[in-house]
Amino acid sequence: MTRLALTLALALALPSLASAQEAQSVRLGFFPNLTHAPALVGLERGTFQKALGKVKLEPKEFVSGTTLTEAFAAGQIDIAYIGPGPAINAIGRGMPVQIIAGASEAGAVLVARKDSAIKSYKDLAGKTVAVPTLGNTQDISLRHILNENGLKPKTDGGSVTITPVAPADVIAAFAAKRVEATLVPEPWGAVLEAQGHRIIGTEKTVWRGGNYPTTIVIVNARFAQANPALVTAFLKAHTDAVAFINKSPAAAQAAVNKQLLALTGAKIDPRVLQRAFARTRFTTALDPAALKEYAALNVEAGYARSAPDLTPFLRK
Amino acid sequence: MTTLDHAGPGRPARGPSRWVALGWQLLGLVLILGVWWLLTDVLKLYPPYVFPGPKAVWTEISYGLWGSGPQDGKLLSAIGGSLRRMLTGYLIAVALGVLVGLLMGAWRPLRTTLGAYLTGIQSVPSIAFVPFAILFFGLNERAALAVVILEGFIPMALAVSGALLNVPPALRVAGRTLGANSLGLTLRVLLPASLPNILTGLRTAWSFAWRALVGGELLIGGVASLGEQLEVGRNTANVALVLATIIIIGLIGGLFDALLRTFEGRVRRDYGLEVPQ
Repeated sequence: MTRLALTLALALALPSLASAQEAQSVRLGFFPNLTHAPALVGLERGTFQKALGKVKLEPKEFVSGTTLTEAFAAGQIDIAYIGPGPAINAIGRGMPVQIIAGASEAGAVLVARKDSAIKSYKDLAGKTVAVPTLGNTQDISLRHILNENGLKPKTDGGSVTITPVAPADVIAAFAAKRVEATLVPEPWGAVLEAQGHRIIGTEKTVWRGGNYPTTIVIVNARFAQANPALVTAFLKAHTDAVAFINKSPAAAQAAVNKQLLALTGAKIDPRVLQRAFARTRFTTALDPAALKEYAALNVEAGYARSAPDLTPFLRK
Repeated sequence: MTTLDHAGPGRPARGPSRWVALGWQLLGLVLILGVWWLLTDVLKLYPPYVFPGPKAVWTEISYGLWGSGPQDGKLLSAIGGSLRRMLTGYLIAVALGVLVGLLMGAWRPLRTTLGAYLTGIQSVPSIAFVPFAILFFGLNERAALAVVILEGFIPMALAVSGALLNVPPALRVAGRTLGANSLGLTLRVLLPASLPNILTGLRTAWSFAWRALVGGELLIGGVASLGEQLEVGRNTANVALVLATIIIIGLIGGLFDALLRTFEGRVRRDYGLEVPQ
């Protein structure tokens, strides 16, 4: 009993002790995708830096959840916009992750190459389908779609070859006829659609009627414990960015396009971006049920042996 | 009776000394495992998502090799896929290498041109060829196979042409004197005479090709392979799976090298090249 009291007292005292030496900077990880729009908009409009005050914001751009998770594990990232797939895996391996907010929902589509015969999910049999990286959020979704349609990946003795291709490279992979279809986050779906390729799975048919998280915000638990004020400030800025996107979509789209151009060197047609926006929902809400189902899909896909209980990792 | 009794100087105590070596190797293994276990599981110097302990890695190996769950046995099918790809590529590489090596050995202009280029290409890391192979063959096994063939073929061709050059001229003259034509001389004199060096080439070709295979598979994905297991382990923050795969890659590589080395040693002994120390 005394031990418990002592532990509690320590736990309560620790944050205040640590806040005496608060971080000098916040290292923020994100991807140059539309599904990470709150990050892009917050950066473009200076929302985060304003909220953090004297503490310097250090944005770091990543191309996949894999490299972001590695940076997170190495202690080089404090807060990150990331897909639920890598986040759940990180939690399952014991990384100090805390899920603090939602960022975007839906916003992933299954696109078939225009000259392929693929019209429905079932037609994926025997085809090569690209995902951003093996084990990422879209890969797990794809494996679930295959499962629902009686198909299997080649590595599990089925006929569908799942191959990792970075979303920005899918355009070239389609042109070179290296892959027949791809499950990609926006804006890449809309970009491919604009080139005449067919959407065979909309954001709604991909999973759960479109009610699934695509990007969430995580924080290093140790950082959160040492810098509670910074995390609160960041969350406030994140909420502002999401509210801005929902209130002024046109201005948000312009901001996203500016950041995408700066980060990837590619400018996206505003009409294409608008279509991609229409397929993505931005919200700070977290749906624990969806995350839980996601962890189960991760097991179904063979990426984990058991689904971790996510409740202790969600910010109340 | 201890092994030391037989391992006196000047005496090739082949049997017992081999057991002594094995004993030392086992001791080394136990030591490595012990230090690893101490650093990770006992002292917990590293978090398990950075450097997992031997127990976690063993769990991955056992699930991956003989687990019976629906998603288990992936390492086993990966080994099967990689070995099948490797053997196909290696056989083609060796056949091509012997052919080109013979031509280079027989014809100096080819040797001075192609030989020099091959030496240059050999210095390029195999992974550098993968993007090109993917463009050429697509995101599939053929791309990985192409890199394996290229990487296995070069050391083989260089070894064969080098081996032919090292055949004592006396043998060549003797063959000619006894009436052998070019083909007969090559097949019945030069090739047998250069066999020990060619076998060294076989072994080099194997290790080059094996490394190239894993590198290629890493980038191609989509088929059951050791490279894909590495990639999946990395993408799902499963470092234990990455380490398990690395260990298996090393074990298979080492096993085949030892096999070829034994064969090479036997031939060298038959040729009188192994002098008892």
